[in-house]
Amino acid sequence: MSKKSEKDSDLKGTLYSVGFVGLFILISWFMAFYLFVDRF
Amino acid sequence: MTTIKEKAKDLIKVDRRDSKLALAHIYVAFIALFIGGLCGLLQVLVRSGKFTLPWGIGYYQILTIHGVLLGLILTTYFILGFQIAAMSRTSGTFTNKQRLIGWIGFWVMTAGTVAASIMVLLNEASVLYTFYAPLQAHWIFYVGMALVVVGSWITGIAQIMKYVEWRKVNPGQPSPLLSFMVIVNMAMWLICSLGVAVEVVFQLIPWSLGWVDKVDVLLSRTLFWYFGHPLVYFWLLPAYMVWYVIIPKIIGGKIFSDALARLSFMLFLLFSIPVGFHHQLTEPGIDSFWKFLQVILTMMVVIPSLLTAFSMFASFELRGRQLGGKGLYGWFKKLPWKDARFTVPFIGMAAFIPAGAGGIINASYQMNQLIHNTIWVTGHFHLTLATTVVLTFFGAAYWLIPHLTGRVLTKQMNKLAIIQAIIWSVGMTIMSGAMHIVGLMGAPRRSDFSTYGGAQQATEWIPYQVAQAVGGTILFVGIILVLYIVANLLWFAPKGETEFPIGEVSEHAEKTPMWLENWKIWLTICIALILFAYTVPIIDIIQNAPPGSKGYKLW
Repeated sequence: MSKKSEKDSDLKGTLYSVGFVGLFILISWFMAFYLFVDRF
Repeated sequence: MTTIKEKAKDLIKVDRRDSKLALAHIYVAFIALFIGGLCGLLQVLVRSGKFTLPWGIGYYQILTIHGVLLGLILTTYFILGFQIAAMSRTSGTFTNKQRLIGWIGFWVMTAGTVAASIMVLLNEASVLYTFYAPLQAHWIFYVGMALVVVGSWITGIAQIMKYVEWRKVNPGQPSPLLSFMVIVNMAMWLICSLGVAVEVVFQLIPWSLGWVDKVDVLLSRTLFWYFGHPLVYFWLLPAYMVWYVIIPKIIGGKIFSDALARLSFMLFLLFSIPVGFHHQLTEPGIDSFWKFLQVILTMMVVIPSLLTAFSMFASFELRGRQLGGKGLYGWFKKLPWKDARFTVPFIGMAAFIPAGAGGIINASYQMNQLIHNTIWVTGHFHLTLATTVVLTFFGAAYWLIPHLTGRVLTKQMNKLAIIQAIIWSVGMTIMSGAMHIVGLMGAPRRSDFSTYGGAQQATEWIPYQVAQAVGGTILFVGIILVLYIVANLLWFAPKGETEFPIGEVSEHAEKTPMWLENWKIWLTICIALILFAYTVPIIDIIQNAPPGSKGYKLW
């Protein structure tokens, strides 16, 4: 009976978390890129 | 009906004879942690400008000890010890012959470690842990390091023999996930360490013995980094083994997907090796096309890294929701935060987010100029190796050592282990944070304290160097604490049974396709990629070699 609810597993938190990791990488990269463009 | 069976499975113990072999490696690893950590403390104190080393000990000497003992010895020994236990637990007890090979490997490595250490202590080999030519060490140092590599191959062969035996007995079946991961890591290690073996045996040893006057510096660095980057993954993959296979069991959940885990490991095998040029992006003499190509291959590593991040979050979320966590992040609170076996590696995982972001910046070709040879790089690998990997190893030691010694982790020690990880995080945030910031301000790595003749820019670095000393001192307190816990688990903890946790795959996961374990396919792609990325540039480097360099002893 609980199988059904398990099957429709909710992975929303995972989606947002992985999205956050991706965003963090992008923001860090662009900050470093800004410094690079500014200096070289 | 499976509960009794499952219970029995959980209690499977690593055979006592295999335990001894694994423990021998772990002893050496933690001795290295103490001496190497002490040297790290001395380094940050010297760099604060407020402390001078006594008895004529040189800064570069302690830097070499710190790097070699922690970057090479602690890691290699802990990894091999962990892998021996993991193979024995999941593929069965080693045969006498396999175990004997394991012991031979251990003693060859240890003879090499002792030889190299003596030369560093005698100040005959202060060449930093990357042993870059044209800095020239005593030949015994190079022979010692070569023996460490050869010894690791021998121990690796014992593990591979166990795996081959399992596959023969169980034809057509995917091997146990943990065993599979161990073999991927060993395959990567065998392929990549050939580079450093060639460098040491054919270039550095003849040159340090005086058989040849000069060394081709460019070729030696290229061979070093062919090895040096996969070395990073040789450290990281055992941490991933803990994350993928052990942690789901500790939190009471399931492995999200066996196939995804295997695919991610195989992608690491492919994309960890043909990428060494990203450490040489400012190196003259390598054609920019080949550097660019290897930058692209480097960026491919992002794929298995994000697969891992997804898989971890998914395991945690599924388990947290099973325990009644509601809303977007309610599951997060439900995780077993009071269990050091989970919390300590979790902090390591969290550290990998800024560590990975920094890594992508480092490898972004022209942007490498921003950080090259600055202490940012030191800050970076203190997040990857000295936080992500090391905290995962500490977390693993808290069940592995008592499992092997027949003892238990007491509540008190469990609490202390969590405190240790918090102290570590605080110390590392201060030290590595200061390194990253001051690195962007141009402070160099690998260098003794200097005011650079009172230069304005160098004066601005000093407060950050003091911060590094504060962070480094806190980290040393963390080392003392972990050694206290390890000593307790080795000799003093109450006797009892400790589980070697092995996660089970979620019942919703797809069946693992056998092509994921088809070594012919993966090794062929792996070797093809290496040949593609390295053949032309190496021919070019040899044909248009720069003038050779004599050896320098600058310390």
